[in-house]
Amino acid sequence: MLATLVAWGCGGGETGGGTGAPRTDSAGRGGTVVVAARAEIPGVNPLVAPPDYFASQIERYVLLMPLVQLGPDLQPEPWLARSWDLRADSSQVVFHLRDDVKWQDGQPVTAGDVAFTFRKAKDPDVPFPNRAYFDRWDSVKVEGPHTVRFWLRPYSQFLFGWTQVPIVPEHVLGDVPDSALASASFNATSPVGDGPFRFVIHEQGDRWVFEANPDFPADLGGPPRVDRIVYRIIPDESTELTELERGDVDLYLKLPPDQLSTVRADTSLDVLTFPSPTYAFVAWNTRRSMFSDARVRRALTMAMNRRQILQTVQAGLGSVATGPLGPWHWAYDTAWRPIPYAPDSARALLAAAGWTDTDGDGVVDLNGRPFRFELLTNPSQTRQDIAVMLQADLARVGVDLVPRTREMASLGQAIQSSKRLFDAFLLSWTEDMVIDDRDYWACDRRDDPLQFSGYCDPTLDAIMDSIPRALDRDRKRRLLRRYAEMVEEAQPFTFLYNQDGAVALRRSLRGVSVDVRGELRTAARWWLVPRSR
Amino acid sequence: MLRYSGRRLLGAIPLLLGIVTLTFILLHLAPGDPTTAYFNPNIPPDVIEQMRRNLGLDRPLPVQYLDWLRSFFTGHFGYSFSQHRPVAAVIGDALPNTLLLSGISLVLIFVLGCAAGVVQAVRQYSAADQVLTLLALAIYSVPGFWLGLMLILLVSSPVLSGWLHLPISGMVSIDHEYLGWWGRVADRARHLVLPVIALGLASAAGVARYMRGSMLEVVGQDYIRTARAKGLPERRVILGHALRNALLPIVSLLGLYLPLLFGGTVVIEYVFSWPGMGRLLYNAILARDYPVVMAATFLFGALVVLGNLLADLLYAAVDPRVRYDGR
Repeated sequence: MLATLVAWGCGGGETGGGTGAPRTDSAGRGGTVVVAARAEIPGVNPLVAPPDYFASQIERYVLLMPLVQLGPDLQPEPWLARSWDLRADSSQVVFHLRDDVKWQDGQPVTAGDVAFTFRKAKDPDVPFPNRAYFDRWDSVKVEGPHTVRFWLRPYSQFLFGWTQVPIVPEHVLGDVPDSALASASFNATSPVGDGPFRFVIHEQGDRWVFEANPDFPADLGGPPRVDRIVYRIIPDESTELTELERGDVDLYLKLPPDQLSTVRADTSLDVLTFPSPTYAFVAWNTRRSMFSDARVRRALTMAMNRRQILQTVQAGLGSVATGPLGPWHWAYDTAWRPIPYAPDSARALLAAAGWTDTDGDGVVDLNGRPFRFELLTNPSQTRQDIAVMLQADLARVGVDLVPRTREMASLGQAIQSSKRLFDAFLLSWTEDMVIDDRDYWACDRRDDPLQFSGYCDPTLDAIMDSIPRALDRDRKRRLLRRYAEMVEEAQPFTFLYNQDGAVALRRSLRGVSVDVRGELRTAARWWLVPRSR
Repeated sequence: MLRYSGRRLLGAIPLLLGIVTLTFILLHLAPGDPTTAYFNPNIPPDVIEQMRRNLGLDRPLPVQYLDWLRSFFTGHFGYSFSQHRPVAAVIGDALPNTLLLSGISLVLIFVLGCAAGVVQAVRQYSAADQVLTLLALAIYSVPGFWLGLMLILLVSSPVLSGWLHLPISGMVSIDHEYLGWWGRVADRARHLVLPVIALGLASAAGVARYMRGSMLEVVGQDYIRTARAKGLPERRVILGHALRNALLPIVSLLGLYLPLLFGGTVVIEYVFSWPGMGRLLYNAILARDYPVVMAATFLFGALVVLGNLLADLLYAAVDPRVRYDGR
């Protein structure tokens, strides 16, 4: 048996019948790019798929087309919409669509598709996960095959939703009843695209295959340079890295920091990093008396050696946080400095708040109660490591942190339920690109699932309410900075670090550009250096 | 025999019903539901509520249970929460992959295990016996995932990967769609090599130990001495007379290994990116995809029942002393 296998092995990809896979020609056109991700995506229908970082990118940059795209300064630029007219009072907007875009089944993309996508997104029976995008968009009217008018209530960054939600085909999904939309075959079995790539095949849990769309409009960059993109699911990190080193994977998404040095040491591989909206934080339950005092929360932050944590768990990929706004955001102020690591000042601050070690047991106490609390976190190795480092840091100022690990679904239950059965928790997550954090801090949302900390400050509320109403970018920048500084001052969360995104790729793959808009953004412009051997 | 099997299968019905009911209760006792498993701060609460309603999670538990039972008896097992497809289709995708992987492993386990065991027994205390014993013990004590990772590193080492470019993950190559029929079969087979070895080798080592012991017992019997005394060639003595009787206890192992193999695939499928039942069940538990977990648990339960029945029937088939149907 082995002998036969060796025989198969020798030929590599060259043996076997058929025509063989497309290869890169000498001008660097053609070929197949293999992208590896650790998890399957829940589908490519933006109307019903639960939010997923990579599914959204495949929708926007590979398979489908949004009306507008985010430019380098995160301002909207034309994409499926050739242009748009905004009425002076910002209450109406007319999109003029391109007339040269077709679905992969040959049907033209029309204003009807745009209106259909909008109506479904607004339909209460459709579980559209990003309803907030179109909260202030009221109605739509098709005014021509490629002209569509919307009525809305003005707010800042009003086009953002249209950069995130691509248009879906009405002639495919129009007959599907709302209740069946979540299980439509369009979602993961037979999607119909109009983007730079077309859908070829999807094997659940294994791979998605896309091929270049030869009809993609020339002034949007024309057809992609590569023939195919294979999006493979490889759950194990070691296997993923080995595939990249062997050359069977070209682009490795979400490179874990502990593999960074291995990839950097390999001369055939490159690492690209970018500031991302992902951050790690500790949320304090300010409903509990020990965390109700802002001085205590600040002291705890000062006791944490966050730079060391960043070095240890992230291999330095990121920056120590200066508040809720990270360096990826256009309103970030480069003059911001993180709260310093200062255990002595932390001890003094705790003493000022009444916490001193009266019984000499090494743990500070107040009214006979020692400062002891549980830090909940999920079973990620990174988070467990951070929890242990925090435990050691806080022990140095006489605070007894007890790390507790809970599986994600049950952790979510504990921190979101109205009883809030937790002292503090440690997580990391990815922020939406439009900052509206009222769900976390607004006084009138204290009983809502996401108001974990229970923090309330009417002044902060007023600022947060004015942010979405600020139409002028400079004014909005000022408000966002004021907001971020107030949250940093109050420390309802301890923001640990902002994480940099990282991808590893083979040097033979060119044209990859990564930033906060995503790793797959330039997929249509990727190209492969012809193999020398 | 038929009556006996029928009785056993009938008896399995309340057992399986008990298994799924218990699974249902345990699943709902665990904190969280599919919407908390998504846990994304960017989804507003009312959308979460809508999702819960769409999934039918807002209804009382007994109603959900009866609803599931009904979908179970109509054969489509309900809808997967995370894949938004009928569970029957979800399992229909994953089950063949696992059956392929574990089926071939099973063959490897018994062929390799029995062959090694026979060789060891026939040449008891020889160098071959000692080496195989040591090897079997070593392999048996190695966890499957570690063996898998080591195999991956081994075939990817610069020396080996040059002339033996074995795939280390996935089920097919990226140019699979461009291959002819034979090319596709060969492609599949190449992707099976490492996972099958990683999944089967440890169990094969176990079978070898059993086989050696069983064979040693048989070759010491009087009728083997008689066969030799008659002047039968050693080959016929061993393969014709001794092997048949020594295989008896091994047959009952077959029934036990069947469910064990399915359990083992969870780790192997993860390491080798094999989209089968093990990974499906693992992801479904994390995502609180109740209908998929229930259906998969039912399948695993049914497999244990069938495996045991199969072992008993095979036992009767090879051993004339064993008779069912009480005659």
